[in-house]
Amino acid sequence: MAKTIVTSALVLSLFVVSATPTKLSEGYHEDLAIRPLTDGKVITAFTFTTLLGGASPRDPRDSETSAQHYTFFPLTLGQILREYAVTELHLSLNAGKWNYDGWGYPDHPSVGTGAELWAWMADGGPLSVDERWIGLRNALAGLFCASIGSLDDRRTSSPASAFPLSSIPVHHDSIPYALRYATLPSEHVCTENLTPFLKLLPCKSRAGLARLLDPQHVFDADWHGLGVHVRSTEPGVELRLTVQAVLDPVRRSGGRRRDWSFLSLFNRRIDVPCPVANSSTVHLVVPAVRGYALSPEPVSSNDTVSVYSPTSHVPLDVAMSWPEEFTFNYPLPPPAPQTPLSIKRTLYGSSQTRGVLSVSLSNNGHVPITVGYLETLPALVTLWMHTLKVVVEGTPRVDLMSDIIYHPPLLLANGHHGPSTLQATLTIPPKRTLGLTLDLGKTFLRYTEHPPDAMRGWDLPPAVLFPVPVPIRSQGGRSIPERMYTPTLLLDLPTPDFSMPYNVIILSCTLITLIFGSIFNLLTRKWMVVKLED
Amino acid sequence: MDANPSHGLKEPQRLPFESPKIRRLVLGAYWTIIILALPFWWRLTSIERIALPSDRVSAQLDRKLVFPLDVQLDAPSFENSSPHLARELNKVLVQTLRASPTWRNLDIRVGMGETAGARNRVGDRHADQSPVSNAYTVVFGDHTAVKHPRQLVVTPENASVQRLASILSELLAPEISSIQEQRVIQYSNRYRLAFTLLNENAASDHLENHLFPILSQLNILHNATVESQVQYHAPLAFEPTEFADGNTSFHGVTPEDLTVFINSAEWSLSSSVSNDPVLHFVLFVPSSSRQPLCILDAHGSRTNQTAFLLPQWGGIFILNRGAQDVMTHLTAADLVPVFSAFANQLIALLGVPSLPRNVSSDVASPLSDWQLDALLRRRTSENILNSQQTLDSIVKLVDQIESMPVDQKVKGDVHDALSALEEAYRSAVESPAVPLRWSSEALSLASHAFFNPGMLAMLYFPAEHKYAVYTPLFASISVPLIVALGREIYAWRRERRAARNG
Repeated sequence: MAKTIVTSALVLSLFVVSATPTKLSEGYHEDLAIRPLTDGKVITAFTFTTLLGGASPRDPRDSETSAQHYTFFPLTLGQILREYAVTELHLSLNAGKWNYDGWGYPDHPSVGTGAELWAWMADGGPLSVDERWIGLRNALAGLFCASIGSLDDRRTSSPASAFPLSSIPVHHDSIPYALRYATLPSEHVCTENLTPFLKLLPCKSRAGLARLLDPQHVFDADWHGLGVHVRSTEPGVELRLTVQAVLDPVRRSGGRRRDWSFLSLFNRRIDVPCPVANSSTVHLVVPAVRGYALSPEPVSSNDTVSVYSPTSHVPLDVAMSWPEEFTFNYPLPPPAPQTPLSIKRTLYGSSQTRGVLSVSLSNNGHVPITVGYLETLPALVTLWMHTLKVVVEGTPRVDLMSDIIYHPPLLLANGHHGPSTLQATLTIPPKRTLGLTLDLGKTFLRYTEHPPDAMRGWDLPPAVLFPVPVPIRSQGGRSIPERMYTPTLLLDLPTPDFSMPYNVIILSCTLITLIFGSIFNLLTRKWMVVKLED
Repeated sequence: MDANPSHGLKEPQRLPFESPKIRRLVLGAYWTIIILALPFWWRLTSIERIALPSDRVSAQLDRKLVFPLDVQLDAPSFENSSPHLARELNKVLVQTLRASPTWRNLDIRVGMGETAGARNRVGDRHADQSPVSNAYTVVFGDHTAVKHPRQLVVTPENASVQRLASILSELLAPEISSIQEQRVIQYSNRYRLAFTLLNENAASDHLENHLFPILSQLNILHNATVESQVQYHAPLAFEPTEFADGNTSFHGVTPEDLTVFINSAEWSLSSSVSNDPVLHFVLFVPSSSRQPLCILDAHGSRTNQTAFLLPQWGGIFILNRGAQDVMTHLTAADLVPVFSAFANQLIALLGVPSLPRNVSSDVASPLSDWQLDALLRRRTSENILNSQQTLDSIVKLVDQIESMPVDQKVKGDVHDALSALEEAYRSAVESPAVPLRWSSEALSLASHAFFNPGMLAMLYFPAEHKYAVYTPLFASISVPLIVALGREIYAWRRERRAARNG
């Protein structure tokens, strides 16, 4: 069966006809970046880029019944983008906590735990942005088998400065664009999400780099995430499908070796190149400390990166080993944080009605860092802004916080509360830790609003740190290069005894009957004096 | 019964509020309140069930849509024929139609018209103004063919009553075999046509040449959205058997394999974004090791067929390219047979009737007026039958399940569907296109009413649950009430008996 598939791939690929001027020219590129870390972990980042040349997102004011012809671009996704006139779309489904200190910046910045969806849509047309947003998240939920459909207005906000429009606006007659952003931290990415994801690739997981994506091994990783990113660029609409995984060969080898190969990491090799890919590369970022051996020889290499080409070299099984190392020892002391900023975020307080949110940002560098800070919390918690404290080394430093924007939870038309957002610009002095604390109140939910596993608690979405323009007065200061996500939090809300309604029915019925019966008997009984016979 | 002062207490019977009368009044007050409260309780706990117009729905079931058809024989052409030709033709046609199960609703009238030929000769402009009407003409010509607008040219040999009647009945009331009928996709006013596999480059031209003429003629019936994609990895779910035929070998697909040919688990063909039905057209290129891939007949021998149709789903074309030919691209010439096959499959899937075997077409467009009109009438009758049945099912269902709520929306939809049906009957006299639109609206309204989510609400909270909640309260309260009532009645009867005896 495998052989026939391979040949069918080859034959089919040869029929790809060169594009005529009337057709959209499409290109497909795939890339795998591998980065071994000093603690033995291996970060892998797959990027599958499809460019729909000359295409532009649908103007929402046009009718949508025009023909769509795609070669590489997935029709199922193209239909959704066309139907809801989406200009820019970012969906990520991640599991695990990205360890910035140990792993550095990720290749694809959307690493917040759980599901995150944000879309920029042009306004106007018969359907409002919110109606299209509802349709979009339901369609994506169906396409990726994820609970994105539950990203309703209780979780939707519009923080435009943290998630700016990166597409080129195509409609030059100044239609306003609107952002919709929602997160679902409790969503768990699983095989059922990866299968439809792989179907969007022209070669599925049957050829090319996607051959490596064996669900059993990808989901065994310490951290793994899927991403779908659509934006419109100058040449056309660009779709980037990304898979990131942080794998641990030391754990797989029982703590002895850090050697790895495609076979040991993914249980597969790249045995067939994807014939329709315009380019296909494997980038291996080699460690600065020598002493490793690579096989096979890379196509090209320099001091930091070795490049392999799965099109010219199949089957490809890149392997890296440390032949002189008998057993692997974790580096001691642990290596210095790889990002200039270290983040901690906790929620403390023992009561079920109040709590304290605490965020501490440590600047590991020698220059002040200015970042935007965005907290989007569902109406499960109420932030008490008057308790906001910014502390550096025990002294209050309110001057380090500026541009505070706070939106309290808004009561929506359907009786729900929208999320509350807190956005601010923070400046962290060099080699210092900035602490930010804020009291919060926990909501008492209605009986029906609790999830089936109410005792587990509620996940609070991660806070986002985003780059901002550095003010001139901060000497030599800088910002962060890309968005960073804090860990999620687990919120313990007062949970009722769920057998309560039945107890109440039984108890109150008994009471009412008792009172009714005694009064009724008092009123209707015939009373008489009974003479006792001696 | 005198008070016994020995214990020093008052005899309770003597107290004014302990008299039997007061006690009975108290008891009566309780029961009065309960009886008065019963209607309120009933009103508050009952579910909203608005009466549906069941009489009108059942009256609908007996109604039939009647299409009047007016066939005019051209008098100058037919002057040499039998003078009773028109009358005999009428008789034969009416008999044929009465025997047919689907076309009983045609009211056909054949006449001999002086002006029939002339009207059409001068009246082309007039005919264009009303694109669909009920008047057809038959004239003489050198070959048997259909012409625009609604004209049939017959040779003198075909002008006998029997042959003319058979041609006309096949044109006006084409019989569709049950196999053909199963292929036809259910009516919808919007379809998506999804073309999959190697159709990318020349596809747009081919769509224009082969399919768009058909679609533009059918736009009275359906709107179509076209989309295409290429799938590079489309493995079959089964293994075709290899056969050796002399020194060449080929792979064969048996008729059983054809039923599982579509590998819906691996081929992402379906679209999720809209509810419009999708017609798939798949161009399948087998892998070089499997070429040529042939379709086998029921006896297992090789056929020349390369295309097949999946009823109500779409069509598949298997394109064998030959191993030595592998390096070539798909050229425009390669796609000509593919798209003509797709065009035929589209026609079959939409249920367009074919012309009788001995009648050719002189019309420039792929479909003649006769075919279109027959399709319109057929679809209209289908829609009307379906809406009648749906409405009847709603009424029956609501009658059967007593705890099913019926709100104003359902009732409104049913009423609107009924009035749309009335409009369809009324407009059938003029042309078949208008009633089609009404019948399609009636069908969608009826289905909308049938699938109203509000009708399901109470089914999840049946009456038994209600009793379970009520019983702890009502059972324990009702016991003292009933016992007290019984005791009082017993006491009252004993007193009366005592009074009568004493």
